[in-house]
Amino acid sequence: MTKTLRWENLDTGLALLDERNVVVYANPAFATLLALETVSGRPAITSWACDLGPDTRQTLERRLCSNEAGAVTLNEQAPNPVTLYIGASRDGQRLVVGARGWPVADDCGLAAQLDPLTGIGNRLMYERHLATLCEHAVRPAVAALMIDLDRFKQVNDTLGHAAGDELLRLTADRLRKLTREDDVLIRLGGDEFLVLQTDARQPDAAHGLAQRLTEVMSRLFLIEGNSVEISASVGVAMLGHGTAALDDLLKHAALALYQAKGLGRARYCVFDPDLEARALARHQIEFDLRRALGLREFVLVYQPQNSTRDGRISGFEALLRWMQPVRGPISPAEFIPLAEEIGEIHAIGAWVIRSACFEAAGWADPTLTVAVNVSPVQFENDNIIQIVSAALKDSGLAASRLEIEVTEGVLLTESPEVLERLWSLNRMGVSIAMDDFGTGYASLSYLNSFPFSKIKIDKSFVQSEHSSRSQALISAILAIGTSLGVTTIAEGVETPDQFAAIRAIGCHSVQGYYISRPMPAEDVADYISRFDPEPFLRHAEQEQIA
Amino acid sequence: MTESLYRLVYFSRNALAGDAEAVRAEIESILECSRRNNAAANVTGALMFNGGCFAQVLEGPYGAIQVTLERIQCDARHSGLKVLAFDRRSARGFAHWSMAYVGAAANVDRFAHIAKTSAFDPSALDGEAIYDTLKANLADSALA
Repeated sequence: MTKTLRWENLDTGLALLDERNVVVYANPAFATLLALETVSGRPAITSWACDLGPDTRQTLERRLCSNEAGAVTLNEQAPNPVTLYIGASRDGQRLVVGARGWPVADDCGLAAQLDPLTGIGNRLMYERHLATLCEHAVRPAVAALMIDLDRFKQVNDTLGHAAGDELLRLTADRLRKLTREDDVLIRLGGDEFLVLQTDARQPDAAHGLAQRLTEVMSRLFLIEGNSVEISASVGVAMLGHGTAALDDLLKHAALALYQAKGLGRARYCVFDPDLEARALARHQIEFDLRRALGLREFVLVYQPQNSTRDGRISGFEALLRWMQPVRGPISPAEFIPLAEEIGEIHAIGAWVIRSACFEAAGWADPTLTVAVNVSPVQFENDNIIQIVSAALKDSGLAASRLEIEVTEGVLLTESPEVLERLWSLNRMGVSIAMDDFGTGYASLSYLNSFPFSKIKIDKSFVQSEHSSRSQALISAILAIGTSLGVTTIAEGVETPDQFAAIRAIGCHSVQGYYISRPMPAEDVADYISRFDPEPFLRHAEQEQIA
Repeated sequence: MTESLYRLVYFSRNALAGDAEAVRAEIESILECSRRNNAAANVTGALMFNGGCFAQVLEGPYGAIQVTLERIQCDARHSGLKVLAFDRRSARGFAHWSMAYVGAAANVDRFAHIAKTSAFDPSALDGEAIYDTLKANLADSALA
């Protein structure tokens, strides 16, 4: 009796059922919860289910028929529905607990919001959490830290997927240890994690955690008996610190993460609006670049190459220009690296070779050469051989008139396939020139690895030729050229003095604004017919006498 | 069947702030914590320290070593942790949990009682190159 009295005073709704599911007892809290005047002495199903929908009624009936424990939520559409926790039937008795809210076992779909591998939240939890934050009247102080492991793939590939999974579990554990109780931990997928910091002092808290995360993640893991050293990159975005809308938080954190990766990994970057502007600009230029060839926005301009001995034109270098209708002319230095990254270089490069061959085949002087720049990326497969031979065949240009200019980058990988491709072109009769010599590794072994026909001395040496160091370097490059039997050309010759100095020092050819700026293809024929080397030579000789 | 025994040896920089007295108190709390956690996990070993560095030997079953290491890795009281050795052992080198101060002579007295109360046995560190390396690292950092 004393027990019953205590039940009377309880805040929790309790009911006891007999083997026929008749309510033996229900406390006042239970009656209040179900909005019933009295429930004792009547079968549970008839008294409780009076205003339930058919589905809920059926679920309740099924649950009561079974002797196992379970939970039923009544009026699921209600904002704060009543859930009945029905205990297992033992000795003809079972206890029912009634409470407001969703069943704990399902806890608002909590199970569906958890990542089964790591036990932290998944993307769904992130979305639910974001939705909750959106309801706040005052803009919450929230920071998103997106974390990506830097060498996860290597761990997966070398130690296997089980080791990879263990690494993800240990990573989640480290995140738990480094974060506060009310931070939300999410595994976005793969090796990408997210920490949502709410109600912390920003930006300090996010900086502190990001710093700590990158440091701790670079510390060794023990995985299946192996020592594994990885690192993590972190991108941070904070509401009110560069990010205005909650919906942009994840996107901005991802952009900052991308930047952290680009800066060499194992570090964190904080989003700033410039980053987004740059990313958008890059996206736009990428979009335009993919269409540029189709829209015929590329043109080739030609710059003469002249002999220093008699000043005559020996050939032209074909230079690529992108005439973008909105942004105007874009320099190759700007768009070629992007074209290489997105693979568009293959199509653009093929067009350049083909167009230059057709153009040169039309020049009146059949001894003039045409030099074409080919990216190291184009040497990654055998297509380059096909492209060159087809261009020569279709244009009718003699192979000896085509010169492919490559940078040291081509030989950087020291791949035998790349060398073989250079040899294939060489066997066709095409000459191969080493471009920008002296600016990269300037490795003599590169010069030794292939019979280059020409070394191009970079303009940085030419334009500072008054310094004795540059003079010495140019002399050394020329000496190497002479002993290897390779001709030399100086590019970027802009002044009469530079021309005279380069000529005096014994370089074979020159190219640069002093002789002529690059010109449109249609001007080349006229330029050739009217070119007079005399003024250049006269000036150079006067310089020497002086 | 007994579980395989592993040994992990690491070395890290002490990030404890404050004067020698504060450091001493912190070290004692670390020791107390290590004793409690490690006894439960069947991990034994030795913690050596001086003003600038920690060096620790952990011995125990693989899973326990992993859990202990993960706890240590997330501890802000040190940084620059380097694992010098991780291997399988046939027997424990340290039957109990012990701790010792290895460093500048001026501080030896201050920390002597820690070695005494933890029954630090220096002889357990003899004869293996890895322990010599540990001691050398500690000595270097004491000089720095």
